[in-house]
Amino acid sequence: MGKKVLVIEDDQELGAQIVKRLCDAGYEPTWWKEGRRLSRETLPDVDLVVLDLMLPGTYGMDILKDLRVFSEVPVLVLSARNDTADKVRALRLGADDYMTKPFWPEELVERVRARLRRPTLGRGDVVEVGALRIDRGRREVSVRGERVELTRLEFEFLAALAERPGEAMTRSSLAERVLDPERDGTERTLDVHVSRLRKKLGRGAFVETVWGIGYRLGDGRDE
Amino acid sequence: MKLRARLAVATILVMVPMTFALFWYDGAARHRAAEQNLTEFVFGQMPTSREACEAAPSSFGGELRPSRPPGPPRGNHPPPGDPPPPPPPGRPGPPRPRGARPAVVHAYDESLHSANPDAPVIPEALARAIREQDVAIASYVLPTSSVEILARMPWGTGPCAYVLARGTTDPTWGAVLPESNIWLLPTVAVFAAMLLALGPVVRRIRKLTEAVERSASATYADAVLMEGDDEIGVLARAFNAAGREIRSQLEEKDRREQALRHFLANTTHDVMIPLTVLQGHLATLREDAAAGKPVDVGALVSAMDEAHYMASLVHNLAATARLEAADVKLQRCEVDLEALVKRVVGRHKPIAKQLGVSIETAVPGEPVTVSADVTLLEQAISNVTYNAVRYNRPGGHVAVILERVTKESFRLRVVDDGPGIPEAELSRLAERGFRGNEARSRAPDGQGLGLHITLRAAELHGFRLTLRPSEYGGLEVELEGKLDAPIG
Repeated sequence: MGKKVLVIEDDQELGAQIVKRLCDAGYEPTWWKEGRRLSRETLPDVDLVVLDLMLPGTYGMDILKDLRVFSEVPVLVLSARNDTADKVRALRLGADDYMTKPFWPEELVERVRARLRRPTLGRGDVVEVGALRIDRGRREVSVRGERVELTRLEFEFLAALAERPGEAMTRSSLAERVLDPERDGTERTLDVHVSRLRKKLGRGAFVETVWGIGYRLGDGRDE
Repeated sequence: MKLRARLAVATILVMVPMTFALFWYDGAARHRAAEQNLTEFVFGQMPTSREACEAAPSSFGGELRPSRPPGPPRGNHPPPGDPPPPPPPGRPGPPRPRGARPAVVHAYDESLHSANPDAPVIPEALARAIREQDVAIASYVLPTSSVEILARMPWGTGPCAYVLARGTTDPTWGAVLPESNIWLLPTVAVFAAMLLALGPVVRRIRKLTEAVERSASATYADAVLMEGDDEIGVLARAFNAAGREIRSQLEEKDRREQALRHFLANTTHDVMIPLTVLQGHLATLREDAAAGKPVDVGALVSAMDEAHYMASLVHNLAATARLEAADVKLQRCEVDLEALVKRVVGRHKPIAKQLGVSIETAVPGEPVTVSADVTLLEQAISNVTYNAVRYNRPGGHVAVILERVTKESFRLRVVDDGPGIPEAELSRLAERGFRGNEARSRAPDGQGLGLHITLRAAELHGFRLTLRPSEYGGLEVELEGKLDAPIG
């Protein structure tokens, strides 16, 4: 079942587009075409609110203010005015994020997704990404259930990536974390270790190279 | 009321009551001295005249012989009701002082009746007053020259128990003011001098008024000329300063109005071009669809790119409007650079995907917060990021990397593998700095949209912006600055 999103947007075209995109992305949007004063009773049970600041009826900032009295639901603010004072005010009133018009539909969906994503378990002891399982407590790594023997350096490297799965990390920051400059050498040696690590992990792009940056922990699917 | 009239009225209002009070006080003092004299005279003379009085009460009355004794020294007033001891009989009095008429005395019995038909009737007020004291004095409102007292004689019985004495004041007794009124002259002279001295002041003020009116009619272009170090000279200089301020404000307003008109004309021009291109693409797509041809993805992507370009353009125009103001004010607040970088990359990712350019980002795991104007900084970083995407080729790459260099500073790099900019051009760009009109040009020399905004925003924030060839053959733009710079 998709997460529920309340869209408060007065423009017919834009509102319809947002609603369609959210439906396509698997969410269950509710569309309010005008601003209303919110109270605990009138706020539908939703996981996120997309709020246009320029609304007839009740001004977006007032809705936000009302909402924050009784609810901690994430709010993504849409604004046509690219104005610092507006942004600062919205954030102070408790908005979680804002987008300035115009935006591509993909961007909106991506932002909603980012906001609704469960907190990654990267900080826990065990990280599972696709078929890859990293147990930091026991310093064990397995792929598709099979244990893979890694060197200290290879394990540290993988554990570092696993702290933020899906996010690229720079080669220099990784080198700084896992390489001992006296024993292991410089950034260049890192690539050598990575190619060894990839071989050990086998099929699947678990360790992705990111152009211009470094590496990222992938789920091993797109190869 | 005019200044001079106001001064005259104020002076008269103060001077007249003062003079009146002074004269009244002088009169009262003289009166008191005369009363005193008369009392002493009566108590001095009556013991000797008692026999004559009691012998023939019906004819006693009139001026007494010998004449009255000398008055007390000026200003000396012994307490009334305590008559001094009578002078030794037979001693002749000094010559009667000038001015005072001789005292006229009448005798009365215990019931205040006189045997002498010429004696006047005792006024009711005096009759009441004598019951409680030895000497009663007729009261007055304005001190006049005539003085009247009623005295109870020490023996207190017989036809001469009471004596009514009438006399006058004397200029030499008890006077406070000089005898001659010459003292009024300096007072009047000071008054006249004051009014005269006001003349030049009034003239200077009139001159200043004329000069100010002349200056105002020329929209404060002419200075108000007024010599002198006095307050009016100071006022003229203050007015000149105010006039200069007004003039500079007016010029600034004119300048802004002109800049606004100019800006509006340019904006219209700049938005119309991509809009026209977009319409062209849409028309082509529509015609192709009508002709049953497959969708021209290239035209579609170009249309999307034009739309994206227009959005960036409009944001840049707004940023330019702020940066071209005479006094740029940064609205600083705490900015999370990680979120900002993600927003920027998120904004351009959809169009980069369409153009076949990959865009990736890396942020440190810890927060990177700076004090900045979030709109300007975001636009600055957005511009270099969009340029890296737009001036790339299909299959190209863009990386936006945020790092913390030390505990106090950050580094943001936008790296691409596009065609890049020749070194000579790079140094020219860096030297040229901010030039408003090239800001909105449609990148005729390939430098990209709004680079000047990036340069200017970096400069205003105190961040260092470096442009250099990237190790991948394209351009690397580096922005370095302090974290959480003090708000200012």
